[in-house]
Formats: sequence, structure tokens, C-alpha cells
Amino acid sequence: MDRNYIYLTILMLVLAIGTLLVNNEPKLKQIEPQQLLLEMVQPTRYVTTDQIAKMIIHGDPSLELVDVRSADEFEQFALPRSVNIPLDSLINSSSLGYFGIPGTKVVFVSNDDIAADQAWVLTKRLGFKGTYVMRGGLNCWMETIINPQEPSEGSPNTAYETYAFRKGAQQYFTGAKAEVAEGSKVKVEVQRRKKTSAVAGGC
Amino acid sequence: MCPLIPNGIISSGWDFVIAIILGMAFGFILEASGFSSARNIVGVFYGYNFVVLRVFFTALIVAMVGLLYFDYFGWLDLSKIFILPTYLTPMIIGGVVMGVGFIMGGFCPGTSFTAVAIGKIDGIVFTIGLYFGIFIFSEAFPLFGDFYTSGDLGNVTITDATGIPASWVAMGFTVVALAAFWGTMFVEKRVRKNMTEYKF
Repeated sequence: MDRNYIYLTILMLVLAIGTLLVNNEPKLKQIEPQQLLLEMVQPTRYVTTDQIAKMIIHGDPSLELVDVRSADEFEQFALPRSVNIPLDSLINSSSLGYFGIPGTKVVFVSNDDIAADQAWVLTKRLGFKGTYVMRGGLNCWMETIINPQEPSEGSPNTAYETYAFRKGAQQYFTGAKAEVAEGSKVKVEVQRRKKTSAVAGGC
Repeated sequence: MCPLIPNGIISSGWDFVIAIILGMAFGFILEASGFSSARNIVGVFYGYNFVVLRVFFTALIVAMVGLLYFDYFGWLDLSKIFILPTYLTPMIIGGVVMGVGFIMGGFCPGTSFTAVAIGKIDGIVFTIGLYFGIFIFSEAFPLFGDFYTSGDLGNVTITDATGIPASWVAMGFTVVALAAFWGTMFVEKRVRKNMTEYKF
């Protein structure tokens, strides 16, 4: 019997047992820190409350509002068509299915934009595309859409146009609420992202 | 860092260059292991030569354990590796057909080319038959195309299917392979004792 066989057998066995000791748990996929920083310093992730109001009114199917406040706060007031994913359960596997669907824009909503921004950073780190933050959060929503201030005299024309739109939106979201309530009970169908398959290739 | 092509380190145009280099290396190792001889190969079925089992099991366990370490050291992202989709029943049937061809012809496709490379007549005949078989298969494909793609389990691994961690699977495979190496050595010895017509 060749002694080398015995040595090689022992070596292979030791290496195989070694794999049990190394941690080969699948690591969370993340983007490069430089890439994340680049995206963070750009304000392109912010969407204004006016844009959101317009998208809700038009029934834009690509809009997916994700409310990151707690379930209690969500119960008290929430934007129509929004889904509640509290920040602490954001990276559950069930929650992650909401993000990264091609053709949808996920907009994070919170009271101000801090919690929403945190949610945005988390999803960006995980490499999801198409996530945004509603600038100013629900506080800003209240100030601009629900209770818009008339621009002072001498304001530019665009300010009046914005005001006119906000007044209309106010009607839509508050005044006309009683009439719309029946029709707005449309069941929202939430799209789930399909499980991504491995990279194609082969032998 | 790896895999190189999915990570964009080299472009996918290098596919064929890498394939040729790997193919040459594979052919060289096959020939160097004595796989160009049909007697060596079918010996595994008659119990007098288990070199096929040893070479392929060695390649398998070294690659398997090596990949796990590469993943651990961060040299290779195992989640980006292509996994061949599993079609359970068609693969079992295909394996049986392949095995029958193996024992009848004395070669598997790769080894038949190494036999051709060193000018073996049985290898050349086998390769002609191989291409004839490919032709028949392609022409008759519509007849069994549905069966060919039936029972698709997707790109699953044993870890996906059973939940056993990859390192335990690797460990189990290694133990089985090493046990097979030593076990077959004794089988070989006993069978060869009673053989006179074949010189080793």
C-alpha cells in the first residue's frame, strides 16, 4: 500500500472537516460603500408631496407607497393605497418581496423623512433599484396637500399654479372623501417580486 | 472577485477562449489518467479497475471542498455560480442510457475524444457512433421533447432541496468518496487475483 495514499486521505478528510468550521452561511448581498455614498449625496431619491398627490389622483399603477411608521400610527392615518411595513420589520424576507419589482417606484413615507430615509438606505444597501423617499413625510403632506397656504401677493405665477393644484388635491383627499369612499374600496393587489434565478451560463 | 464573467471582470466574449483552455486541460488529464483505454474505463463495471471512480471522485471532492474555502475567503461568490436545472425523471433515464452506452462502447464522450487524439481505432468508431447518435436524437427530439423538459425542479442544490448545510454535504461526500477509494482497492485486489488474460 502506497503511504502517499494514506497521507492524501488524511489531508482530504481534514480539509473536509475544516469546511464544517468555516462559516459558509450565505452572506447578504450588498452594494459597494462608494456606490451607496454616491447615491446618498444625490437628492434624486426625493419625491415631493405634490408629485405623490398627482400620482395617487391619476391612479398611477407604478406607484407603491410603503409606510414605515408603526402599525398604530398607520391605523390612525395613512395615505390611500399605502402598505404598512414598520421599519423594524423592513428586512424580513416577506417584506423584501415588495421591493425591486421592475417598473414600480417604491416611495417610503414616514412622519418626517428621517425614518423613510433610513428605510431607503437599507434597501439601497441591499441593492434594490427604484426606491424613493417622500420629501418631508406626512408632516409636509399635511402642510402642502391637506392644508395648503395661499401664496402671498406678488408671488410668481407658478406658486399660484401649485396652490391651485393643491387646493384641488385637498378637495380630492378631504372634501370629496365621503363620495369617493365607496369607490375607493378597490382591493389593492400587491405585486410580489419573483424569486430571482441564478446567473445564466453553463457548461 | 470570482466568478469573473458575472462580475464583469472579463467580458462574456472570453467564454470560448476559457472553454478551449479548460477543454485542453481536461483532455490532457483524462489521457494522463489512462482514460483513453476502454479497458481501464469499463474495468469499473467488472471490478478490476476503479480508476474512473477514483479520478472523478477526487476531482469532485477537491473541487467541492475547494469551492467552499474559496467562498469563505471571499475569492468566489458561490451564489453567482450557475447551477444546472434538475429534471428528475429525464435525468435518471438519461443516466441509465449513458451508463449502457458506457459499458457497451467502453468510452464516455470525453474519453472517446482522448482515444481519437492518440489514434485508437475503437475510439474513432465510437466517436462516429456518437455523432450518429446526436443526429438521431436531434431529429427525433419532437417525439420526446415534452418528456425531456418534464419534472423541472429548477436550479436546485442539495442544500436547497433538503436544508442540509453545504459544508455537511461536502463532508459527507468526502467521507463516502474516501471510503470508496479504500473499498475499491480491496475489490480490485481480489478480482485481479483471478484474472490471467489481462496484464496491468
